[in-house]
Amino acid sequence: MDIVQGLLNGFQVAFQPINLFYCFIGVFIGTLVGVLPGLGPAAAVALLLPSTFALSPVSAIIMLSGIYYGSMYGGSTTSILVNIPGEAASVVTCMDGHAMARQGRAGPALGIAAFGSFIAGTLSILILTLVAPLLVKVSLSFGPPEYFSLMVLGTTLLTYFTQGSMLKALMMALVGVLLGSVGVDTISGRYRFTFGIQTLMDGLGLVPVIMGLFGISEVLLNLEQLAHKRMIYAAPTGGLLPNRQEWKRSAMPILRGSLLGFFLGILPGAGAIIASFASYATEKRVSKHPENFGSGAIEGVAGPEAANNAAAGGAFIPLLTLGIPANPVMAILLGALMIHGLQPGPLLMKGAPDLFWGTIVSMYIGNAMLLVLNLPLIGIWTRLLRVPYGVLFPFILLFCLIGSYSVSNNVGDGVVMWVFGILGYLLRKFGYEAAPLILAMVIGPMMEEALRQSLILSAGSFIIFIERPISAGFILAAAILLTLPFLTRRREVERAWTSLPSELSD
Amino acid sequence: MPRDLTTSLFWLAIAIFASLEGFTNLKLGTLRSPGPGFFPFWGGILLGLFSLVLLARSLRSREEPGFGDIQWRALHVVLGTVLAYLLLLETLGFVTVTFVFLLLLFCFGKTGWIKSGAWSAIATVLIYALFRFWLQVQLPRGLLGL
Repeated sequence: MDIVQGLLNGFQVAFQPINLFYCFIGVFIGTLVGVLPGLGPAAAVALLLPSTFALSPVSAIIMLSGIYYGSMYGGSTTSILVNIPGEAASVVTCMDGHAMARQGRAGPALGIAAFGSFIAGTLSILILTLVAPLLVKVSLSFGPPEYFSLMVLGTTLLTYFTQGSMLKALMMALVGVLLGSVGVDTISGRYRFTFGIQTLMDGLGLVPVIMGLFGISEVLLNLEQLAHKRMIYAAPTGGLLPNRQEWKRSAMPILRGSLLGFFLGILPGAGAIIASFASYATEKRVSKHPENFGSGAIEGVAGPEAANNAAAGGAFIPLLTLGIPANPVMAILLGALMIHGLQPGPLLMKGAPDLFWGTIVSMYIGNAMLLVLNLPLIGIWTRLLRVPYGVLFPFILLFCLIGSYSVSNNVGDGVVMWVFGILGYLLRKFGYEAAPLILAMVIGPMMEEALRQSLILSAGSFIIFIERPISAGFILAAAILLTLPFLTRRREVERAWTSLPSELSD
Repeated sequence: MPRDLTTSLFWLAIAIFASLEGFTNLKLGTLRSPGPGFFPFWGGILLGLFSLVLLARSLRSREEPGFGDIQWRALHVVLGTVLAYLLLLETLGFVTVTFVFLLLLFCFGKTGWIKSGAWSAIATVLIYALFRFWLQVQLPRGLLGL
């Protein structure tokens, strides 16, 4: 009953002309970001965050969400036509998508990617609609100990699913926790790690840090890599509509991909990339003709594209119900909510129903808009691909500069971005990943507060974390994940990551 | 430069600094009421332990140094122009700095001078209009007073 009422409310909010407009802007920019290689959704959402300050919170979140799931659509276009993933979650689509394009079947490949994305996106929002209110009910009973344990589990999951060494990911998470403690300690009011620098007094800004790690450093890496890369361009030929036989072959992969994607999307750190790999591996395993994979099997396009879009929907679950971000984009959305004066977490649904339901409903609308944007307008997007990187990167840098400056009209934030740009570049060169760092930096202060509150509650006893059944469950799961790599290798995760060509892995 | 060896020592130094700072300057507090240094201290301790594990691992396995090819020129140009942009933004103003910034980078991206100039001028005007009038972002006026 609650859900029906909520949805009705959501429809009212999402169909307001202004929100329809920002939903459209969001998915449009999302598609653009998805199509352009070398600009990922995290940087894009961070770039546009300052431009939403003048909007109402609902419009802002609707637009920023649109960029995120929109980028999942656009990424497939580049993968199929140019064999370069528009963004990381479309890496697998290159294999069979581009093979199809070379055989003159670019049309159906693009078509099934768009329809698969649409179906999966819609299915995952449907599950989100049903599951989120239930999870809110559960999480309302969480106290500080449960939250602390949950965040420990979340961070562990994140490092478990990471590319490369889990040890390095754990180190990145700890560095993130330390960076998160920069600024005023909320409990005692003392400054920590500020070195007398004005800009650091309020803590490191999320926007400059993300733009540095995912914007500036990305440009630096791309200038090294894309410079040598020749674009092999396959023109979209033939109709975009898949025929009946192609539909029949794609139906189950889309369904499986949707479910797989949604549930992997919920897990911190797993997200769209792992989901697309998992779907590809699954389809290959259940196929009667696994030998066709890699040479233009439509299942290899339909499944992963469905999975990465469904994962984008799943990723909203922890943010909307617990206030915990599952990936860097969600971390920025969390920041956006707080900037607009909203406290993310289980109280969001009750406290800001317009935002909660409006955002969910806007995703149904956004998905429909994306289908329209991606099929008839495919010609525009392909033309965009011909813009050389030498023209593109100055704009990316400029938008990073304006974005970081305009958060609080402070040049210091720009310098923070610059420093984190260098750090991000070095991290990648030295084989570290930035995602655990950024998530831990956001979660760190929440974790600290929960820990300190728990200890005050228990009068200094750590037993409180295993006394309470839910908390004990989270801790146990985290402990298993942490010890597992010592007993067996993280085979599935490693296989997923090694199957992608190294230069595409970023 | 062996990658894991170098970085493990770097993180170890950070970890020691954070723990020391947590232990001395900030206060650890007690378990009953943890102070501001409690979290950084234990975070630093854990980071230090993991760094030592990585250090041990890298010493045992003799890794090969390798970074791919680094394009120093691109690196210097990008980092230099971005920093210069930030340092000059408030004195020279948004329009001037943006125009020069784009001009330099377009030229670096192998577009001719004249074409780069035209592109930069058009882009500067459009971006200025976008942020100033539509998104209503306050941009530094600087010399030109725009």
